[in-house]
Amino acid sequence: MPEIFINGQSVQAETNQTVMQAALANGFYIPYFCWHPQLSIAGNCRICTVQVEGRSWVEIACNMPVSEGLHILTDSDLVRAHRKATMQFITLNHPVDCGICDKAGECTLQDYHFAYNGSPSVSREPKVHATKYHDLSARILLDNERCILCSRCVRFTREISKSNALGIKNRGDVSLVRAAEDSPLDGDPYSDNVVDICPVGALLSKPFLQKARVWYLQPTPSVCPGCERGCSVSIWHRKAQWRLRALDPAQNTSIARVTPLENPAVNGPWICNKGRDLAQVFERPRADHALLKGKPVELAVAIAAARKLVGEARHAVALVSSWGSNEELAAFKTALAGRFTTFVKRDHEAMPGERIEDDLLIRPDKNPNTAGARAILGESSTGEPAFPADTDLVLVWGEGCNFARLPATAKVVFLNSYLQPENGHADVFIPISIQTERAGHYTNFAGVVSRFERCFAKNPSVADAQELFAGLAVGTAVTS
Amino acid sequence: MPGKQLLMTFPVTATSHTLAAYLARGGYATLRRALATMKPEDVTKEVTASGLLGHGGAAFPAGRKWGVVHLNDNQPHYLCANADEGEPGTFKDRWILENAPHLLLESMLLASYALQVRNAFVYIRGEFDLPYRRLAAAVEEAYADGYFGERILGTEFSCDVVVYRGAGSYVCGEASGLLSSLEGKRGYPRNRPPRLTVQGLFKRPTVVNNVETLANIAGIIAHGAEAYKKVGTAKCPGTQLVSISGHIARPGVYEVEYGYPMAKFLFEDCGGMLPGQPLKCIVPGGISTKVLTAAEVEPLTFDHQSFAGAGSSLGSGGMIAIAEGTCMVRLLQVMLRFYHHESCGQCTPCREGMGWMHRIIDRIVAGQGQPEDIDSLYRISRLQDGMTICGMGDAAGYATVGILDKYRSEFEYWIREKHSQLEGNLEGAVHA
Repeated sequence: MPEIFINGQSVQAETNQTVMQAALANGFYIPYFCWHPQLSIAGNCRICTVQVEGRSWVEIACNMPVSEGLHILTDSDLVRAHRKATMQFITLNHPVDCGICDKAGECTLQDYHFAYNGSPSVSREPKVHATKYHDLSARILLDNERCILCSRCVRFTREISKSNALGIKNRGDVSLVRAAEDSPLDGDPYSDNVVDICPVGALLSKPFLQKARVWYLQPTPSVCPGCERGCSVSIWHRKAQWRLRALDPAQNTSIARVTPLENPAVNGPWICNKGRDLAQVFERPRADHALLKGKPVELAVAIAAARKLVGEARHAVALVSSWGSNEELAAFKTALAGRFTTFVKRDHEAMPGERIEDDLLIRPDKNPNTAGARAILGESSTGEPAFPADTDLVLVWGEGCNFARLPATAKVVFLNSYLQPENGHADVFIPISIQTERAGHYTNFAGVVSRFERCFAKNPSVADAQELFAGLAVGTAVTS
Repeated sequence: MPGKQLLMTFPVTATSHTLAAYLARGGYATLRRALATMKPEDVTKEVTASGLLGHGGAAFPAGRKWGVVHLNDNQPHYLCANADEGEPGTFKDRWILENAPHLLLESMLLASYALQVRNAFVYIRGEFDLPYRRLAAAVEEAYADGYFGERILGTEFSCDVVVYRGAGSYVCGEASGLLSSLEGKRGYPRNRPPRLTVQGLFKRPTVVNNVETLANIAGIIAHGAEAYKKVGTAKCPGTQLVSISGHIARPGVYEVEYGYPMAKFLFEDCGGMLPGQPLKCIVPGGISTKVLTAAEVEPLTFDHQSFAGAGSSLGSGGMIAIAEGTCMVRLLQVMLRFYHHESCGQCTPCREGMGWMHRIIDRIVAGQGQPEDIDSLYRISRLQDGMTICGMGDAAGYATVGILDKYRSEFEYWIREKHSQLEGNLEGAVHA
């Protein structure tokens, strides 16, 4: 444990740390573009310069090993002068088109310009122009003029996603990041992480392209339901105070984008592309009316009908959702488990072409809470559903049920969030809320419990499963 | 001859580069004797004692570089001869590759023995044609006669050599960029630490030596460190190959003993300047070293201390003699065009700064210069100094500052009058 001194203050560093790591771990900030805690050291941006006390030159902190008694200055006159010069070099050929750049507002270059340079350009030369809209993949657009060639994206595809899909071609100030010809970025299920780690607005997400200025959005902590990994994510949606009154009001309750939320216990700073596309899951057409044999009814009427069926059933089977939160599953267990033979259902299966499993994040079970359901409802719930001959009621909670396999004579109570033909075939259909309309917890395959928060209010005509289960139990009053 | 000769010791003929000719000169006898009588560490000791300096430009003692490699550390070591000779004005390694390829190979075998290297490499400049063919033929001859491969000369020592051709990048002549390129990657230089002698090629301890540095090993082992130290000066033992070009009467490659008077070398050995073209200045060791005016260079002796005292460096021995009447603005323009073209683009100050300086000098030459442009060139040079991963940022700055310091008035003239003060240029050197 070498003791080093940063700006005169004693810091206990780890033996194999760099000055950058020791400084950040102890609350000293050193700026960086190319350095990334999860990637190898490139040392090319040169903004992280620090001065060793007594020396007349600066060195880069990201590649400087700590050593006993090292005295580091992170804010000396010399360091400030060099940072300013580096900012001038970096912005020399940068187009400074923040006005039309999606990164504006969360751009490291923009922040550092104000923090470390702040003066107008000192160059009178014309800027080097480069490709403005280069299709890197079906999902990612590259603006080479904004690129500062930090090589984070290249290192990501080599070291993390291992697709080797990106490289740099040409040299000098006409270097260009390009996709490798034989290993396109399209095949990399983690490709969109390069958009997040790009310190400038060079790598852009096509689905999010010019959709929103980021300062109108807020991130709500959530959990990706795409597989049993349960990656922590931020779901970005419009801030309440910036509610749109004109234009399309649906924008107020839609997902603008999904980004990783760093969680060392689960996903580190990464997520896969499926997690970016949660809007495609959550924004499918919603079921917002309760139905009795396909006839729209008030929610309370449907709940009363369902409770009657539950009360009358002699042998009831429940297929519960592996997308239910721990709270919902616990509520089910408390209120109804005694009356049902319970099976946990796989609501979602892998889509055609989707990666099933890999060493990084993607897990084979494409449901977020199978482990939670098993823990709450017991191992017996995990087998293949069996329907005894005298089954007279089946409660289906969530998607993924093959209705043709249910006993023809049994009544069906169906709880679902989306419009599906089967909704109208059920004896009782009750629409329920989705993950973004409630808070709760999922337990991932490794037993790590993660919480998701509510992003949007649910429609009043839609039930909340946690309350609903109590209401379906015999002898209780209708609560919603 | 400018002093004693250690490398250019034989007359160059149509066959003097062949194995037969080399054996007739006593070639490979040193290797045979060393393998039989010396331990690997004895070879390193001898090289360290000789005080042999690196001849690639930085003049780092070869023995100190070798001393970092630990023998018996249970990992492979590598040796790489840097034959990516690309510094403008420098063409001295070419002489060795063309005329004494076996001297290089024997020296590499001795170095490989000393450093316990199983696989050695020669990274040769892609544009070199004859040097490559001569070296490749020499490697074949050496293999055929059992100087490379398994159990060399019946001993336990085995070593293979691979000649790898570069693809035309100046930066790949920088040792770490060279190794990146040799690994099959982009020729990007690497940050230190780690040093290459700790983590070099394929992350193993690697010694990268210039061709001329290595070529001296055979002589040092043959005659001993003491004999080597008798040549040259106390601080600069030995000789250095100089490739001289420009407005000089007899351009070419010369072997110059350290301590030799510069005036004598220029005006007697090289035959002086071309008729009617008095010396204006000298680029002493490749364009990355600061120019020295005629008055500055004439009293110097040919050694590192003398040139450092004059504020420049012997560098790689690529001398360019420049005559009065040569336009220094256009000279700097050519240099900056070169640096801009050769910047690898990895680190920010060089990637952006080279192009910036090049555009400024282009604008001055186009007659659109501003008085503050000279200060901008100074400023950019200063900000690149020590700020880049490899030495290229520093080098371009030295070249620029060297010329601006001494010939500022020519730049001011061009900016003011929008044309050159002098009509001469380097390309105009006409040799009878």
